[in-house]
Amino acid sequence: MCPGRRFHAYKPVIELAALRKEYDNVLAVDDLNLNIPQGEIFGLIGPNGAGKTTTIRMACGLLAPTLGRAMIAGVDVAQDPEKAQQHIGYLSDFFAVYEDLKVWEYLDYFAHAYKMPEADIPARVTEVISQVNLDVKRDAMIRGLSRGMKQRLGIARAIIHRPKVMLLDEPASGLDPKARLELRNLLLSLRDQGATILISSHILTELEGFCTSIGIMEKGRMVRSGSIAEVTAAAATTRLVRMTWAGDSLAMAQEKLRSDARVSEVNLAAGVGTFRFSGAEEDLAPVLASLVAANLQLTSFGEVKQTVEELYMKLSTHEVM
Amino acid sequence: MARLSNKFFWTNPEFVRHRRAELRPVRAITVATVVAVLCVLLGLACWSYQANLLENARRGAEAYATAAWNERLEHMQQDFARNTWLLFYRWLVGLQGVALTFWTLFSCAQSVSGERDRKTWDFQRTTRLTSAEILIGKIFGEPILIYFAVLCAAPVTLIAGLAGGLSFGSVISVFVFLAVTSLFLGLGGMWLSTLLESRTRGVGLIGALALYGLTLGAYGMRDSGLPGLAAMSPLTGIIDLIVGKSSGPFRFVPVLFGHEVPWLLMNVLLCGSFSAWLALMLVRNLKRDYPEIRPLSRWQAIACAAFLNFLIYALLSPGFGPRDAYNEVRGGWFPDAKTVAMFAVGMNGLILFLMGLATLTPQERLKVWRRKRATGQSAMFADDGLPWPWLGISAVVAYALLVWGLVAWNNTLPLDMSTLQAAAIRLLLVLVFVMRDVLFLQWCMLTRLRQPVVKGVLFLGLYYAAATVMTVLASVSSEDAGRWMLALLTPVGVFDPKVTGLAFPVATYVGLILQMVVISAVIVAVDNRLRRPLQSGAAA
Repeated sequence: MCPGRRFHAYKPVIELAALRKEYDNVLAVDDLNLNIPQGEIFGLIGPNGAGKTTTIRMACGLLAPTLGRAMIAGVDVAQDPEKAQQHIGYLSDFFAVYEDLKVWEYLDYFAHAYKMPEADIPARVTEVISQVNLDVKRDAMIRGLSRGMKQRLGIARAIIHRPKVMLLDEPASGLDPKARLELRNLLLSLRDQGATILISSHILTELEGFCTSIGIMEKGRMVRSGSIAEVTAAAATTRLVRMTWAGDSLAMAQEKLRSDARVSEVNLAAGVGTFRFSGAEEDLAPVLASLVAANLQLTSFGEVKQTVEELYMKLSTHEVM
Repeated sequence: MARLSNKFFWTNPEFVRHRRAELRPVRAITVATVVAVLCVLLGLACWSYQANLLENARRGAEAYATAAWNERLEHMQQDFARNTWLLFYRWLVGLQGVALTFWTLFSCAQSVSGERDRKTWDFQRTTRLTSAEILIGKIFGEPILIYFAVLCAAPVTLIAGLAGGLSFGSVISVFVFLAVTSLFLGLGGMWLSTLLESRTRGVGLIGALALYGLTLGAYGMRDSGLPGLAAMSPLTGIIDLIVGKSSGPFRFVPVLFGHEVPWLLMNVLLCGSFSAWLALMLVRNLKRDYPEIRPLSRWQAIACAAFLNFLIYALLSPGFGPRDAYNEVRGGWFPDAKTVAMFAVGMNGLILFLMGLATLTPQERLKVWRRKRATGQSAMFADDGLPWPWLGISAVVAYALLVWGLVAWNNTLPLDMSTLQAAAIRLLLVLVFVMRDVLFLQWCMLTRLRQPVVKGVLFLGLYYAAATVMTVLASVSSEDAGRWMLALLTPVGVFDPKVTGLAFPVATYVGLILQMVVISAVIVAVDNRLRRPLQSGAAA
């Protein structure tokens, strides 16, 4: 079970209802409905131009929807933007900062701009600076920071007011592998503290093993959304099972597998093989038991889980690449 | 408590950011030192100039030894200190006035576009700062360096003014005049900046330069039919208030409803009211996405048109005009009610066009309005609809104010019915041409043109240039043909001063009908554009 799940109250913190955006003659987002409960890390995936950025910009109030409504923590973003902003931490693919401020001044500015209680600000600034490992640069001018440090400062800005919701638009683009790892760890810790995260990316490996749910967008529409298990189940009609064994039992294994009507595409070689199984995960147990009962010396047996990338490739129509 | 801390501009986070960034101790000390050095140098230059004058007078008295020279020398010796301080004060105020207004305008003209350029604007928009808080923070924060420099020079200026023989009130009134003017220019600059995307910042600076030239040029309105407009020029504050040109037989004074008022009051009234309109537009739009910017709502636009019309009659000075050798007023801008009516109609052409520009509907909103209108969910007078019905209301309000204004001035400028009739036809024709042009701009907004409004205005300029050429060519064959061409293609023909009542030439009425046909065609073209099907896929 995902650690973030323990915070689920099944009340959507991010609620996008019939959200629609038109630019000129282009329908960028087409009646998008999305409910994300608290503690979820929702990965919005899709090719460039699918409508991910537009969706996130509408959710954080930067863009007015043509039709529909975006609610964050129960607040209508269009009706009461200032109140909604209290709950939103927004991070985009660029990390623009005020170069003529010091690190602490920059965070102090945003803490005041988010109208945090005056008394809490100094401690919070120190805490966030420490969280993004910029303690030694606290009094340094931002213009003197490296690109990576500026990016960390951008992340600190987004979390300074302890937002309930993080809206991240391609946040890892341009980050080096170490910084990506740091960002991932930071987001996981935020999730553990109860934050809900909507993250968009077209680099699918970035979201692998990190998101609790995904949504696949194409041409402004949500092609499929749900928990990774749900989306996988919906995408997969059969399970790919891989097994390895010791000894020379190829013929016996083939015979056993082909005798089961739910098994297809049996592809076995010396000591290793795969087959497709149409049935629930627990239905694999009798298959395994029958192989063991036939004295096949299995060394491994299990379903090959699909990566997010494979899922996306399967579900996507690739019309907007 | 947090909200309370943002109440005053000096605790506004945006102001604090600018103060921290631009007024660090080292820089503040440098600025204060430079100001002090400049004051000392300027003081020495003024003392040297006055000493030179005194020396010349002394030499003259020695050379000619006449009573007049001796008297002059005595006066100069007596007034030496006062005159030196006064000259010093005038230079100080002149330099501060120019620097303050210029710096404020140009720093504010880069405030929003600069943030867009640095890509920090989105982050500021996603904070809990309201548009009003951002506005206050920027208007006081962006020019903070010049404010600080003026603050450093203020004690010296005050001492120089008082030592120069000026009253405390008049010294303070000059400061107030310049502060109000710079606030107005700052808001103007910020509005320009809001209208510009990062890639058009250069255009914004040119626009700011034009705005500065315009306000400086308003100084020339002192001897016009609307002398009060000169109160918007910083030059009035620098020259008239401190040099004393507002006295003597050729004095220039602003009038409000025919009554003379002080320049400072007029400055506060005009710059204050225009600043209020600018602030309203900024507060409405500052946190909006660029394509969503709409300066005013429809009703606000009508109120703004009414305000501008009201100003015409409030600032009118009918008796003011060029004076002859006997110091008698001859003619002037507004010798009679008919001229006032024609001027008001002409001004309304500009006002209605500006109102039309301010209320153009973004493509997306217009499409939604059309869909709702097709299902009966939206009215023709909706805020997201086409602007032409609202232009009609603005014109009706303008005409009502024209009638009121002319009746109010009836004692000075006798009014007859034919003036009102002619004004009605003139305003109708101007309205029709403005409606056509504004609808054309609305159509341009539905095309894929980049900067559609700018390009649309350029196309209109080309159209009127072509219409002028065609009129000139037609006039070559006959004067009547020229008049017909002018009446059919432009609203200029309607301003013929010889026409009284409804007796306009047939060409005027034919031109009116022709333009109505064109308007119908543009409305159909707009509708066709709105019907075009959408393509799926984002272009974020």
